[in-house]
Amino acid sequence: MKQFYFFVVLLVVSVGLGGCAETKILEEVGLTTLVGYDLAKEDGVESTAIIRQVGTELQSKVSIITAENATIQGTRAKVNRRAAEKLESGQLRGVLFGDEFAKKGIGHSIDTSLKNPAISEGMLLAVVEGDTKSLLEYEYPSIDEIGQHIHKLLDQNIKSEQVISSTLHEVSYDYYAVGRDIALPIIKRDEELVDISGIALFKKDKMVGTLLVDDSFYVKLSRDDYHNGTHELKVKGDELSSTLLKDPPDEISLVFDPIKTHRNLKLVDLKQPEFDMNISIQARILEIKDNINIGDAKSAEELEKAISKKLKSEISRVIAYCQEIGSDVFGYGEYYRSSVRNSELTEEKWREMYKEMKVNVNIDFTLIRSGVFE
Amino acid sequence: MFKRKSKSSSNENQASMDSEDAGEAVSVPTVGADFIRMVSDAVHHTADLVVKPIPPNLTLIYIDNLVDTVTLNKHILEELLEQPIESPENIVSILSVPQVKFAQKNRESVEAMMDGCVLIHVEGYAQVVLALIPTPESRQVSAPENESQVIGAQIAFNESLSRNVSLIRRYIKNPSLCKEDLEVGKQSKTSIAMLYIKDVASDQMVTTLRQRIADLQIDSVLDSSILEQLIDDNSLSIFPQMLLTERPDKVSAEILNGKIAVIVDGSALAIISPHSFIEFFQSQEDQNLRWQTATFLRLLRFGAVVLSVFLTPLYVAALTFHYEVIPQTLLVPLSESRALVPFPPLLEALLIELIIELLREAGVRLPTKVGQTIGIVGGIVIGTAAVQAGITSNILIIIVALGALSSFTTPSYMMGNVIRIIRFPLILLAGLWGFYGIMLGFCFILVHLLRQTSLGSPYMAPFYPPRLIDWRDSIVRLPLPFTFKRPTNTRPEDEDKYKPEPVNPEKNEQKVK
Amino acid sequence: MKKSLQIRPSDTINAFLLFFIIHAAQIGIGIQGFQRIVYQDAKHDAWISVILAGLATHIIAIFMLKTLEIYGSNDLYGIHQDIFGKWIGNFFNIIYILYSSVSFFAVLRNYIDVVQSWVFPDLGTWFLAASLLLIIIYTFTGGLRVIVGMTFFSVVLSIGLFPMIAFPMKYMEPRNLLPILEANLGELLKGLKSMSFTIIGFEILYVIYPFVKDKENAKKHIHLGLFATSIIYLSIMLVTLTYFSGEQLTKTIWATLSLFSIVEFPFIERFEYIAVCFWMLIILPNLCLFIWSAFRGTRRLVNISAKKFVWIFSSIIFLVSLTFKTRFQINTFNDYFGQLAFYIIFIYPIILYFFATVKKKFKSRKEQVD
Repeated sequence: MKQFYFFVVLLVVSVGLGGCAETKILEEVGLTTLVGYDLAKEDGVESTAIIRQVGTELQSKVSIITAENATIQGTRAKVNRRAAEKLESGQLRGVLFGDEFAKKGIGHSIDTSLKNPAISEGMLLAVVEGDTKSLLEYEYPSIDEIGQHIHKLLDQNIKSEQVISSTLHEVSYDYYAVGRDIALPIIKRDEELVDISGIALFKKDKMVGTLLVDDSFYVKLSRDDYHNGTHELKVKGDELSSTLLKDPPDEISLVFDPIKTHRNLKLVDLKQPEFDMNISIQARILEIKDNINIGDAKSAEELEKAISKKLKSEISRVIAYCQEIGSDVFGYGEYYRSSVRNSELTEEKWREMYKEMKVNVNIDFTLIRSGVFE
Repeated sequence: MFKRKSKSSSNENQASMDSEDAGEAVSVPTVGADFIRMVSDAVHHTADLVVKPIPPNLTLIYIDNLVDTVTLNKHILEELLEQPIESPENIVSILSVPQVKFAQKNRESVEAMMDGCVLIHVEGYAQVVLALIPTPESRQVSAPENESQVIGAQIAFNESLSRNVSLIRRYIKNPSLCKEDLEVGKQSKTSIAMLYIKDVASDQMVTTLRQRIADLQIDSVLDSSILEQLIDDNSLSIFPQMLLTERPDKVSAEILNGKIAVIVDGSALAIISPHSFIEFFQSQEDQNLRWQTATFLRLLRFGAVVLSVFLTPLYVAALTFHYEVIPQTLLVPLSESRALVPFPPLLEALLIELIIELLREAGVRLPTKVGQTIGIVGGIVIGTAAVQAGITSNILIIIVALGALSSFTTPSYMMGNVIRIIRFPLILLAGLWGFYGIMLGFCFILVHLLRQTSLGSPYMAPFYPPRLIDWRDSIVRLPLPFTFKRPTNTRPEDEDKYKPEPVNPEKNEQKVK
Repeated sequence: MKKSLQIRPSDTINAFLLFFIIHAAQIGIGIQGFQRIVYQDAKHDAWISVILAGLATHIIAIFMLKTLEIYGSNDLYGIHQDIFGKWIGNFFNIIYILYSSVSFFAVLRNYIDVVQSWVFPDLGTWFLAASLLLIIIYTFTGGLRVIVGMTFFSVVLSIGLFPMIAFPMKYMEPRNLLPILEANLGELLKGLKSMSFTIIGFEILYVIYPFVKDKENAKKHIHLGLFATSIIYLSIMLVTLTYFSGEQLTKTIWATLSLFSIVEFPFIERFEYIAVCFWMLIILPNLCLFIWSAFRGTRRLVNISAKKFVWIFSSIIFLVSLTFKTRFQINTFNDYFGQLAFYIIFIYPIILYFFATVKKKFKSRKEQVD
């Protein structure tokens, strides 16, 4: 019996000594918070990594390291060789793609990120107008750490639904789904600040077009339901009836806040294919330039009609553009697959159908309130 | 050594006792001089043996320091001198001492003398009169110091067995409350009382416990905490399987639940068994408070234990291996406070935990007033200085202090110690293998707890084996009308504490109308 | 029948603990990544396969119970010996012991793989295997009471994980499930077959049944346990199917863990790191029950003490687990094991029931003749 316990102790001790895991002590690793990929020469990758280090003055430092190589992991190794601390990607919050890089295809990069268990599926992706290196290396006077700043900027705008959500999970969902394409926000440097300038539209994994940031509202509206966020709309003056405004100017700007929207899609024709898209929007007006009194029901109705008309034309325009460049960011293909039994939908098949697709947009805009002062 | 459960050893013990009896079962001699010689031989002519002949026919023998001289003079000597004594029966009727009895055997009378009896021998009779007048060597009962309560009785046990038993008898004035006297210790011959309520406590458990105490072969038992270690189910485990408490109200409540209490002479703590793991975190005060408050406090206390055990290991694991789980908002303060620290998190945490333990130990050993000062000075000065010197991060100080604070909320001091100590292996595991190590430690503790028993009843009761009705008074405490059952882990002979009345306050109101 | 087991009253368990035993024995390592395996067969109708598999477990459990009820208080090993005689019966017993051992190994090796893939890529297989086996030995030597206690705490403590699947529901695309029933029956059944690696474990019933104190209540709790498992599998499958897009799911090896990766609290994020380690508590009862059932069988063949058995068993498992090095090997093993498990769990009980009833009829007729 004594011998038996001796063996147990021996086992425990040898396990204890031999089985230590590799440590990643917080202050001894360089935490990559943001990575930007640009196209380098000969189809290589140029990575710019933002690395947070902790200095002895109880202050975080940020270093920016750039390296070029043929593969993404290759650049990582190269960056590691230039960094003071071992690089870890467990706190990676964002990946940026230069627009040249995005045009070449980001599929491989998504794949690599998914393979790595350390990378969070909540990481945000975005496209940079121009190259990421110059965006990241610019010394912004009012921004402490550019990596965290960009993440916060995107995160805040996604949460307030100003721009399309682009977490790694959603992007890879779109990437691998048949009949749905990726849409990423575009950011650019605007003087001393970073600005969201629009959204990038992808065909499979290649960037094929861009939309203005205002148009992202329409994309989002026809993609999924809305809960908050604000939108500014310009309604042509002559679209308003004279009862509402005696002498209408050329354009009336108004800002509304969609409290609740609902998209209802219906496949009406299998062959062509043709969709009926009904969008109901319940909104409150935040601001109208040129004071229009919308206190009474009649004028409110008039205004609703005018807004609906405008929205309809805008959405139709955006859809037409997407069709033209062949990017189905709305997920019509997925809808088609889920509506048609045994559709056997493939990527190529849908691309063909998408060009011919017809969408009838119907907007049902309801004003529920206009603040606490009329 | 302590193979108390084996039957054979107990039989042997019994046999040896019998033979001893046969050797010394000598009747008291009728001649006074013979009796004196025999007694002084038995105590090896000890210096404090007093032999006091009272002519014509009486001899008083006692040990000087064991009897109360005032009583001796007033109630024995005076009365014996008043009139001539003819027989031992005569003495009994004269003496105004409450405990007087006869002894025929020499050994019996000597043992009684060691308890504080005066032996009165009457010339020509083969028996002695034993008058028990021991010195009242006990302090007054005082308020409980280690298990203080806001609401509840402010009284604690002291070191006198009889006083302690009387305290419990005050609470339970039931004739069924049994007191069994046992004796342990070849040298010390310590008196032990076992208390339980007949027809409530499980007979089988009473037998088991009695057997365990009787089977002990040890030279002395100086305190009930020693006895507890000797008679609990697994002496090798870090977890105590019987409760030690200084509160008579707690003991009474547990006896009423069907448990058995053991009181050791000379010890201010009573042993209660069987006691399950969860019951160590229940205070008697929980019964005194309103049930909502009591439930909240119990949850708080139990949460504190979990926090105390796992918080520091989680910190070590997250900082050593799993920086991924730290949210961005916490990342900056954490890494900045760690920046100056030269040690890995494992050493840092062990260091601070050890400092806290040192402070606690120093505070306990020193006199109360100095102890408090040490606690405050040590806590503030060392804590602040350590952070400023860059030996530890201030976040860890907060975590460790929180852990220490939480561990002190455990009502049982013994269990509180365990909670503090099992943190160390967990910290070590966390420092070696991160969350995996913590989980390894947690599973080990869980299995270990499941393997334990307390007087044969499951230690994890009432959770496992699950007794839903006992959950009403576990980490929550439901109102009294719901907790009318005795806990099943005591296997009570009588399961109901009282008849449950229908809970309907409105009905009562109507009655008033 | 005369061969019924004699069990000490202290070893018996309450029938309602069967709920925990069945449930804990089923939920183990398979739940971490069963989605993609089923999806490959049944596509977005995989959830129907899960329901079918759940129904199948109920039906098989009925057969198992009926077989056991014929014998009153005996386990599978005794039944084998009774029906097929000593030699053939023992042959079947050896097969079942081997099956239990292989199940044990499958759970252990897959868990080690998960830990190495997610948390500690450089931690040796030998260390993980040894540390887990030590805990299992410690649990096992405590006896059935401790093993069942472990299953109880494992189920109770891991209830907290279940609500976490509410986090990924934020990203749900319910239309992924449409059109319902696009897969044909063959594909659905194939999906059911793929579920077998995940849903097995309830065959522990065959071995634990004689230990149940109040056997008349057993049925209810067994079915409740199976139902709870099915509900959990179904809800996880539904969330997974709506959370991932098709090809994305086929590429996600441990979809359940990926679901956890989106969970975020103010004080902690990347919940899958905790989940992976916490899973130890979920697989422990699994492993203990398998080793216990193997022990009960071995006990019938050779007279061996529990302590000796567990050390020999663990050493063998330890050595075998070292021979598996790559993911590819493990996956191949899982595939074969899934096939084997399907036949042993879903086909064999029906055959055994058939044999048992025939034997019973035969015997009663014989008694009548006598």
